Amino acid sequence: MEKAMKKIVEVTSNPYAYVEGLKEENNKKIIGCFPMYVPEELIHAAGMIPVVIWRGNESVTWGHAHVPPYDCGITRSFVDDAVRGKLSFMDGFVFHIRQCLQAGEFPFIMERHFKPAYQKVLYLPALYAGDAIRDFAITELESFKKSLEDFTGKEITGDSLKKSIETYNENRTLLERVYELRRGKPEILKAREVMQIVWSSMLMPKEENNELLKELIAGMKKKTVETKKNSIKVIPVGCLCQTLQFDILDLIEDLGMIIPDDDLYIGSRYFANKVGLDGNPIEALADRYLTKSPLCPTKGVWDIHWGDEAIKKMKDNDAKGIISILIKYCPPHACYYPDFKSKMDKEGIHEIMIQVEHEVITLEATKTRLQSFVEIIGGV
Amino acid sequence: MAIVSGVDVGSLCTKTVILNGDGEILSFDIIRSGHYYQGAADESIENALKTAGLKRQDISYILGTGYGRSSISQADSEVTEITCHARGAKKLFPEVRTVSDIGGQDSKVIGIGEGGIVNNFVMNDKCAAGTGRFLEVMASALSVDIDEMGKLYFASQNKLEVSSMCTVFAESEVISLFAQGHMKADIAAGIAHAIARRIIGMVGQVGLKDEVVMSGGVAKNAGVVCAIEERLKVKLSVAQEPQIVGALGAAIIASERV
Repeated sequence: MEKAMKKIVEVTSNPYAYVEGLKEENNKKIIGCFPMYVPEELIHAAGMIPVVIWRGNESVTWGHAHVPPYDCGITRSFVDDAVRGKLSFMDGFVFHIRQCLQAGEFPFIMERHFKPAYQKVLYLPALYAGDAIRDFAITELESFKKSLEDFTGKEITGDSLKKSIETYNENRTLLERVYELRRGKPEILKAREVMQIVWSSMLMPKEENNELLKELIAGMKKKTVETKKNSIKVIPVGCLCQTLQFDILDLIEDLGMIIPDDDLYIGSRYFANKVGLDGNPIEALADRYLTKSPLCPTKGVWDIHWGDEAIKKMKDNDAKGIISILIKYCPPHACYYPDFKSKMDKEGIHEIMIQVEHEVITLEATKTRLQSFVEIIGGV
Repeated sequence: MAIVSGVDVGSLCTKTVILNGDGEILSFDIIRSGHYYQGAADESIENALKTAGLKRQDISYILGTGYGRSSISQADSEVTEITCHARGAKKLFPEVRTVSDIGGQDSKVIGIGEGGIVNNFVMNDKCAAGTGRFLEVMASALSVDIDEMGKLYFASQNKLEVSSMCTVFAESEVISLFAQGHMKADIAAGIAHAIARRIIGMVGQVGLKDEVVMSGGVAKNAGVVCAIEERLKVKLSVAQEPQIVGALGAAIIASERV
């Protein structure tokens, strides 16, 4: 388990060096995917390596000439990395621009300043009611497949796509298993390690990540841990498409809380819902995208409530509260949050919202707020 | 019952309260925190002990709170100032349902449920707007001390608008108002209302429930208290010594932990 974790920490500690090395090692093209909904399986089936783009840890410099300071952290950090040449090992990018307003800025900036060999703008539909939505999604994914074929000069056959889907589904199953084991003994991994595990899957070739996860799972099964008495279980919930500062996760744990599960993209949402293997694989990819649960504000779903899903997850894990993590300048989350908060208040759920941003975290003030939250739950 | 103490190390002032076994205040102390919080806590405890005619070994339990709560080496445990202000206010005003605490570095509005337990809170955690520090900078810009600034509010004939929430911009605004020939009292009233506006926004998030207690050093500024009352349209309950409410709450929790 320690060996597997060491590799995971190595990969996620310097994703730039890791992904660049990956390209040289495999002699394959690297395609950066905007977080959340790009069906990586299609890029994999096209013989390239998809990686989910990430938020860097450096302050934004040149990027501010291209995007305003009131864009979210990943937007500013990604553009900054791109224009400074830190992503020169990337051969192309895929942006799902309907996901949020800021994502719509990327294709123009990249086309003008990065000039990637390949760029695809995905326009997947918001999940409004009606049959036309499915046709819309399928057509869009067909267009994506065609653009990849045009770029590589190689056909993506139904069989090759199904094989890629199988590999990705196996990865989802393995990550699910990590979460199951963690749920049974939450102290086995620190919350930051769990986030790094999921993040490693977004960066590594899935075949390699699957082997690593198998090794990790075997170790997790064997390892016994001491259960911390009087710890309060909480569920972090958020719409963030980036890693939050690990210090926040450490702080939550240092204050006596335990995270048995989460509702985060770099978390349980990444591996939720497998892709069907019967029938047309493009339709199956569309159907996964069209699954409303786990709900994310970026999909425009209003007939089921995000708050209900969060409360269910909290109760299923015997948790006592919810920590909403809001990335500053994330319009989808900010727009949904008042409704989410109302639901929490109505249902009498202990919930606190922690706002985080790319450059600044006021850790002391965050500590006071989180500690007060623990005191409220604990009845001090 | 044992003698206990609560120590509230805030960014500007450190406060200590000593309670006897019946929960009565034996003594309290307020000093500036300075830059060495542990030293400030030690000194404040020592001062409070001296006032009460006690020795350190007479105290069975010390509970730390406030911004510097982790720096109190003598503390047996720590609790946040949010919980402590709620508990202190409940002790002084048993019907309290909302607490507005404006301290040196941050301001908070705390909702209190049945039994005095915190059920909601909001705190400004990003800038000095609406805090004691804001008031200090404004007093300096007006060339008056804080107490005088509070009195000036009531001499105002024409309350001005100080629209900036940012301490730096508000200071510039105050200087501009001087340049335009406005009266000091009218500017002081505008500053008090600027703080009040900030607090009203936070009260709106928590939900206003009477009785409302104001604690923290800024509660000593009658002008700010009046401005908040005008805007909230409720009478605020202010303790005789509002600065020690958090330390009192800490001492109460200490008495439960002995």
